[in-house]
Amino acid sequence: MATLARTRPIEGRQGHYAGAVSRLAAFAADVGASWGLFTLGAAALTFSVQLVSGGHFSPTNHPLGSLIAIVIWEFFYFAYQWALSGKTIGMALLGIRVVRTDGSPVGARQAIVRTLTLPFSFLLFGLGFLGILTNRDRHALHDRFAGTAVVYSWDARAARLRWLARKDPEGAPSPDSA
Amino acid sequence: MEQLAQAVAERVVTIVMDAIDIDAILERVDVDALVRRVDVDGVVSRVDVDGLIDRVDVEKIIDRVDVQKIIERVDVKDVVDRVDIDALLEQTELGSIIARSTTGVASEVLDVVRAQGVGLDDFFARWVNRILRRSKETLPQGPPTLVGPEATARLATPELTTGAQ
Repeated sequence: MATLARTRPIEGRQGHYAGAVSRLAAFAADVGASWGLFTLGAAALTFSVQLVSGGHFSPTNHPLGSLIAIVIWEFFYFAYQWALSGKTIGMALLGIRVVRTDGSPVGARQAIVRTLTLPFSFLLFGLGFLGILTNRDRHALHDRFAGTAVVYSWDARAARLRWLARKDPEGAPSPDSA
Repeated sequence: MEQLAQAVAERVVTIVMDAIDIDAILERVDVDALVRRVDVDGVVSRVDVDGLIDRVDVEKIIDRVDVQKIIERVDVKDVVDRVDIDALLEQTELGSIIARSTTGVASEVLDVVRAQGVGLDDFFARWVNRILRRSKETLPQGPPTLVGPEATARLATPELTTGAQ
């Protein structure tokens, strides 16, 4: 891939604190994934209710119920995945994961606290996220509350080996010359 | 009579040999010149090397070698550092084996996205560090159990980083 040929993968970053762009991109992917899954679930529920009752049913007619369902769904989406593997779908895509501040895997308690305090980081125009850029250990506000950190988990060295294995030995430019 | 002569001769030789200072004679001998006159090739050609080797117990010699001690003296890290991974992959089947086992459009796209993400992370981190007037070397790289104590020790001993800046 031409883009990769111009971009030399950064090596040896496993376990290093993840930066703001990777985390923001992962969060955006998670918002898309969670909303997509919620929409699919709502459509399936609507279809099932209509099939069983035979009448008309639409979640939009129940705004409070829909809001509560969304909040519960988002809580489970993040908390369950963080507790299970330390990473959400978006984080897996971007190759990052949540760990405790000492680097050990997060438990259910950290996952739940992190999920519950995540909204606080959005307060005051997302001031809680500023710590990812300014703090020495790149902690956001919800990381402080939960005692967690976000680190790179993808193997850049393996990616570089794959890149070397794929490239045309005669035609492709060396990443060193990029 | 002959026996008497033999006995006298042996006695004389013994007396003469005792009287001679062999070391003094050897000191006066030009050994280098002597060696130069020796036809070494001729001597070697007359040696039955195969027979000599057959008589050598190689197993016994190897048993006497302390391999562990030799390995300890080898700087494995230096040897590995000298291996050109890029050339190795390009010149051997190893590259195609890795490619066959791990390639795919999805993994390629992921590699690109992640590499771009890390690149942008570094870009923003560099600028923030400039604005905050701090060096990247003074910052911890990651949690201690993931990056090792030396990468996080900077936190505990900031004076050590002063010289590295």
